[in-house]
Amino acid sequence: MIRQIQYHKPINRSIAPAIQSIDKINFIAPEKIILQNGVCLFWKSGIQNQTSKIELHFEAGSSIDDPLTAGLCAGLLINGSSTKNAKQIQKALDSVGSYYDVSLNQDTAVVTIYALNNQLLKAYRIFHEHLFDAIFPQKEIDNLVQERKQKFKLQEQKVSFLAQRLFQQKLMDQSSYGRLIEFEDYKRANRDKIRAYHSQYFLNGLHKVFLIGDIKQIELNDLIGLLNAYKQSTLQRENFTWKAQKGVQHLVKKDAVQSALRIGRPLFNKTHPDFIAFSILNTILGDYFGSRLMSNIREDKGFTYGIGSHILENRQFGYLVIGSEVGINNREATISEIQIEFKRLQNQLVGKEELDLVKNFLLGQLLKSADGPYAMLDLYANVEVHDLDLNFYEKYIAEIKSIKPEKLRELAIEYLNWQDMLIISAG
Amino acid sequence: MIINFEQFTLGNGLRVIFHKEPSTPMAVVNVLYDVGARDENENKTGFAHLFEHLMFGGSINIGDFDSPLQEAGGQSNAFTSNDITNYYNILPAHNIDTALWLESDRMLSLAFTPKSLEVQRQVVIEEFKQRYLNQPYGDAWLQLRPLAYRKHPYRWATIGKKIQHIKDASMEDVRTFFKKYYHPANAILCIVGNFELETIKQKVDYYFGDIPAQKKSTRKIAKEPKQKKFRSKRIIRNVPTDAFYYAFAMGSRLDPQYYLADLLSDHIGNEKTGILYSELKIKKKLVNEIGAYITGSIDNGLLIITGKLNPRINFEHLDGALWDVLEKYTSRPITQPALKELKLKMQTAKAFQDQGLLNRAMNLSYFELLSKANMINEESTNYMRIQALDLHHFAKGILRKNNCSLLQIQAKR
Repeated sequence: MIRQIQYHKPINRSIAPAIQSIDKINFIAPEKIILQNGVCLFWKSGIQNQTSKIELHFEAGSSIDDPLTAGLCAGLLINGSSTKNAKQIQKALDSVGSYYDVSLNQDTAVVTIYALNNQLLKAYRIFHEHLFDAIFPQKEIDNLVQERKQKFKLQEQKVSFLAQRLFQQKLMDQSSYGRLIEFEDYKRANRDKIRAYHSQYFLNGLHKVFLIGDIKQIELNDLIGLLNAYKQSTLQRENFTWKAQKGVQHLVKKDAVQSALRIGRPLFNKTHPDFIAFSILNTILGDYFGSRLMSNIREDKGFTYGIGSHILENRQFGYLVIGSEVGINNREATISEIQIEFKRLQNQLVGKEELDLVKNFLLGQLLKSADGPYAMLDLYANVEVHDLDLNFYEKYIAEIKSIKPEKLRELAIEYLNWQDMLIISAG
Repeated sequence: MIINFEQFTLGNGLRVIFHKEPSTPMAVVNVLYDVGARDENENKTGFAHLFEHLMFGGSINIGDFDSPLQEAGGQSNAFTSNDITNYYNILPAHNIDTALWLESDRMLSLAFTPKSLEVQRQVVIEEFKQRYLNQPYGDAWLQLRPLAYRKHPYRWATIGKKIQHIKDASMEDVRTFFKKYYHPANAILCIVGNFELETIKQKVDYYFGDIPAQKKSTRKIAKEPKQKKFRSKRIIRNVPTDAFYYAFAMGSRLDPQYYLADLLSDHIGNEKTGILYSELKIKKKLVNEIGAYITGSIDNGLLIITGKLNPRINFEHLDGALWDVLEKYTSRPITQPALKELKLKMQTAKAFQDQGLLNRAMNLSYFELLSKANMINEESTNYMRIQALDLHHFAKGILRKNNCSLLQIQAKR
């Protein structure tokens, strides 16, 4: 029963207005179209404005083969074909008012094209033509290598970059996920390898397509015709096994005024039965503004501008990482405060007030993540990648509503042992 | 897409904008205060931004800002620029009262606890280090501003001139600042969500109506004199590559030439297709990266051309070539197809921006501050009406050496 707010003046400001919690969120799956090549196209329409976007997911991520070749190939996809050079292709995309972007994660290369809905098919056609006819001109390769080398030198000046790399290497040790590009690697950029990568992992590596926008049926048919030119990815990956390192490592960077911290451990992704409950625990620990880490290390001690704890996932596994940048003199104190927060979660039950707050906060954030067609499609893609469906979010809501402090303490005891952590600092 | 909205003003001078969006279960409550770093005393810089942090440290009747909002399923944040301080809350629409209760209480009065000031001073100092000192090229704008501005308070950045200014901030400064700038007549409230206008009027009046009225102070800001001579400065830093910032003086946000400057910076600065990229990176191989953009500030802004040199290229190589390229560019007008492309890209970008509820709330508030909220619906026309010759004349006027301040950051070897 919800108490109606009475607007009687004068207002008593010391009493908070009554709040309502969220009981139900409507999750709506996109339309699923299976192409002749076996690839699934997920389409969301009914947008009520002119925007549209297509996302092509290729199984061409940085951990699949050689990360250098993966990065260069993704960056050069439409930088030269037998008919047009990089500038002419970009001009063609400009002429239909579209924006083009490629991003690369460990599993996937994602090509995104944004356009007004009456231009999307035209924009995609331009991309398609030059992707299939890509010749990877040597001078474009040289140009990109030069660019990346300088970016690398720049990144190396940042303590956050140094800490993040070392963390990834040590945590994902002895696996292709822990393999990173080194500066010297740029010397072995090779056109033949890039061409082979393009053919194997892009033209023959389409995994999924996400489409959003009010596109005419006839244009959709044309688009589907084009997409059938790809072969579906048939990549089979070896099962990942952890050989993660633990313990403390510090990387010295001269003249730094802050240290970057990365503290974490192997974990799991959405497919694991503890994922939802642990993500609630993680929120309490460090994943919102009022979290334990933020309250203690920023809002009480003023050691940092920000500190956060996150569960990062890929297709095969997930891991926990706490990240922050702190004044050099506060590095040790910060690390020991993080340890104290772990112990508190293991030794004391989370109080009702805090837990209720986090429950409401998470439900509110989920409502926001489901707001509007773009957000809803992202929400869908986030579970679809693990072969889960929208039922995951129903379970998420039910688990948030029912979780008990005892369960959270159990999880803290199991997963937040300080001796299991890899503790990296740079600065 | 037309963005419809309603407007009303409370008796105490608070301006309110309501934009109904029936499709969302969320609500946005945005509060813009007409105060930014340009309003600071030159010996107490960084204060508007430090103050923004203090606004989350508890208000007169409420111990902590964030907890009640999070409990209502919402979240909040804020930013400070040289011109404005903007606070926003996104929460489930059925709990909108919580955001109005919180925002109205901190407009009424802050708690002013010494602990909050002490901690936030530390936090902001760490922010200063993280973003401006511990990053390669992080202090570029701390150096460029006093070069490009001689009189106007834009000569310092929102973070402040130096850490000492933040250390020196006193409780008395905090109280004075609050009293001067944090009151209804100096604020614009914008609400977006699926509500009825009458409901919004009732709620806003209930929470904000009894906050005492105060007269808006008049702003006395030194006008930046017209630049007459080229200025330059070279600094040496521990960075991997030489970097350059050419800053051209442009007009204010309300100057019709703002739209010309925006299109111009896109046209010359676009990756791959822009003249800077194709001439200086691809053809002459002088730079590793180059681009252009405008600052878009309320008072006189800057059009920036910035980039990094390739190894073994020196600043003099680049400088000669850059002025040649600009001369070539300003010698003839943009072609019709190129202008059409630029406008179409602008339309696409605008359609995507207007989609976000928060964007709409912030823009409505910002345009209301500039002149009127409905500018949000007139922006497109202002770009679409631009003719090739307008752009040509404008480019010739602005891309001159006498109108430019140059900062060079040389890598320590």
